[in-house]
Amino acid sequence: MRLIIRDDPASASSYIANYIINRIKAFAPTPSHPFVLGLPTGSSPVLIYKILVEKFKAGEISFENVVTFNMDEYIGIPREHPESYHTFMYKHFFSHVNVHPKNIHILNGNAPDLEAECVAYEAAIKAHGGIDLFLGGIGPDGHIAFNEPGSSLASRTRVKTLAYDTIIANSRFFGNDLEKVPKMALTVGVQTVLEAREVVIIITGAHKALALQKCIEGGVNHMWTLSSLQLHPHPMIVVDEDATLELQVKTVKYFKSIEKVAASQGFEQILPSAIRTGPRPTQNHVDPTPAVKEEPSIQAPQPLTSTLLAAPATEYPLRSHSPDLIPDRMGARIAAY
Amino acid sequence: MPSAVPTGKERITKFTNCRLVIGNELVEQDLWVSSATGKIVRSQEVFYGENVVPDITIDLKGKIISPGLIDVQLNGAFGFNFSQIPEDPSSYGKTLRQVNKRLIQTGVTSYLPTLTSEKIEVYHQALPFLGPSGTHRIAEDGSESLGAHCEGPFINPTKNGIHKVANIISAHSFKDLETVYLSSHLNPTLDPHTGALRPPVIKKITAAPEVGNMMRLIPEITSQGIVYSIGHTEATYEEASQAVASGATMITHLFNAMRPLHHRNPGVFGVLGIAESLPRPYFGIIADGIHLHPTSIKIAFNAHPEGFILVTDAMHLVGLEDGIYAWTNGERIIKVGSKLILEGTEDKIAGSSITLIECVTNFLNWGGVTVPQALKAVTSTPAAMLGLSQAKGNLVSDADADLVVLEEVQGADGWRELRVDQVWKFGAKVWDREM
Repeated sequence: MRLIIRDDPASASSYIANYIINRIKAFAPTPSHPFVLGLPTGSSPVLIYKILVEKFKAGEISFENVVTFNMDEYIGIPREHPESYHTFMYKHFFSHVNVHPKNIHILNGNAPDLEAECVAYEAAIKAHGGIDLFLGGIGPDGHIAFNEPGSSLASRTRVKTLAYDTIIANSRFFGNDLEKVPKMALTVGVQTVLEAREVVIIITGAHKALALQKCIEGGVNHMWTLSSLQLHPHPMIVVDEDATLELQVKTVKYFKSIEKVAASQGFEQILPSAIRTGPRPTQNHVDPTPAVKEEPSIQAPQPLTSTLLAAPATEYPLRSHSPDLIPDRMGARIAAY
Repeated sequence: MPSAVPTGKERITKFTNCRLVIGNELVEQDLWVSSATGKIVRSQEVFYGENVVPDITIDLKGKIISPGLIDVQLNGAFGFNFSQIPEDPSSYGKTLRQVNKRLIQTGVTSYLPTLTSEKIEVYHQALPFLGPSGTHRIAEDGSESLGAHCEGPFINPTKNGIHKVANIISAHSFKDLETVYLSSHLNPTLDPHTGALRPPVIKKITAAPEVGNMMRLIPEITSQGIVYSIGHTEATYEEASQAVASGATMITHLFNAMRPLHHRNPGVFGVLGIAESLPRPYFGIIADGIHLHPTSIKIAFNAHPEGFILVTDAMHLVGLEDGIYAWTNGERIIKVGSKLILEGTEDKIAGSSITLIECVTNFLNWGGVTVPQALKAVTSTPAAMLGLSQAKGNLVSDADADLVVLEEVQGADGWRELRVDQVWKFGAKVWDREM
């Protein structure tokens, strides 16, 4: 887990925007090998979109070969409704940049068969080779997408009934008329998010401090669905100072020092090169990692020891500056301890 | 910002980095227009629904996009007087088309060609050319007529202005109107090709309600979809109120050619006070600095901002050099700057020779209003008065893509000027300052 702490929402957002831009650039996407980006809606990411749009207009980044998948959409309100997530994405991002509409995927809340829509969505993600980077935000109760407390951590894209609290909270966007507030939504599942090769979460504001504390310092718990991120190989959470209010001082200092040391060693927060460029079909390249490594998941758990021990064996060598380095045998490494 | 070199075949144009005049606000928002439909595109719908992306993106660098300007009282321009039938009447239509092409360069994308009080033959010969001209939606045709404005001849001879008294008559029945204007110009007609109902040639009639039987004819006029406007009148406050109750929705050049505001009889101006619980009519204002004192304009605006419409009442001399020019019936007009005086009189104002954007600029500086408030008076308000809000005067989806790109230039003396940089008609660019 990488936890990046910045002074305010603006610098946290700018960190993520720059991070995404660098990721896309390093990925060098092409039409046949696009960068697949998962996107959220809500108030926290607005600033990130704004910066991405500015950078696009300044010519620093192109989204021509970027494929996007959105997290969720209401059921039963028109696509052009001012509160629909289609409208949100159009207003804040898509209308300003060069993501081609055929590369955009947003769940259709007006599909005749909603279950089929969800299955097709998961299939589309697979067909694009999985999501390279899933950007997300969370609610004050630690929910990611519409996976509210109690959602299965193994859930996939599905129809979700909104909690009564959420309906009441949302009514302010629908003229304070509960009748007009959508009662259901389509959302990607927790497992869908966890299957992305990288997950980046923005959390800002004191009202989300408890959620952050539960997700970082607490255990994996379906009442705080974001805590499932602890099982992900490459998560990153970017927060502002306010969001750390409930964390232990020790935790904050620890993550700050990690970032500082990593920076001094020239590592920054980079990913293993295989993740950075995506699963590109290669011909003569000798893959230093085991050919197929089964990612542990909730549905197919692996023995805890294997996860703990396998992670350093596949990651640390790849973090070095010479990516062709052949890792030690695992046995030799254990003996070293 | 990626943007292709224009090839001239673009169908969908996206304007970005621009400020749209929407209501009383300048909104930073993109605008998509289609030259294929000639309309403002429901961009989000076609983006998601049809995977459509703009063929060309134009970065306006913060400039203002206003709906195309609408002049509801224009007597002529560039030497052509709509009320003057040329010696070779067949050249009328040709000259009119040339005028339309030049007029649009001033930012006026649609207008009501206005006929003053003339002999009957003039109406019969001119009106066939002056009806709504946008049916074929061709951008190159230039400024579009939304229908003719007949200012007279059913007016009060004592408030004739420069209208020739000999031409002024009174109407006692709708038949009298039909004799002068012809019923074919007063009634909706069937399109011979599509079979659709076309609006009448005449869009607006200015008449004095107290003359003849006019008061009782107002409902008959408005039932044809024609706007009845009070003007050139001796109407008292009571008569004006009665006209409004009968269906008058407009006042032609408020203050001019009518009784002045008197505190014991507020005259026509009084109807702006929501007295008698009547809806307030729209009203035209000539902001040329000659017809009205700037303060009078401010008072009128503050009395009823939603009804405030700027008109030029410009003569055919607009756009010409200073000098002495022929006027109808052998009389002559002296043009000095934008001031027009009837020859042989001391100070009889003979209409104006100001452009509509100059009126907006004047009002912007005199009225202490914002840019969108000033532009509203020549876009959405006249469109609403004409019942055309869906198609004209508003930057809303499916409205006609008639646009003016404006730059606000501030002079050293603090004078704010709105400069027309580009004009678009039906989604295609028809004029550019830099071309």
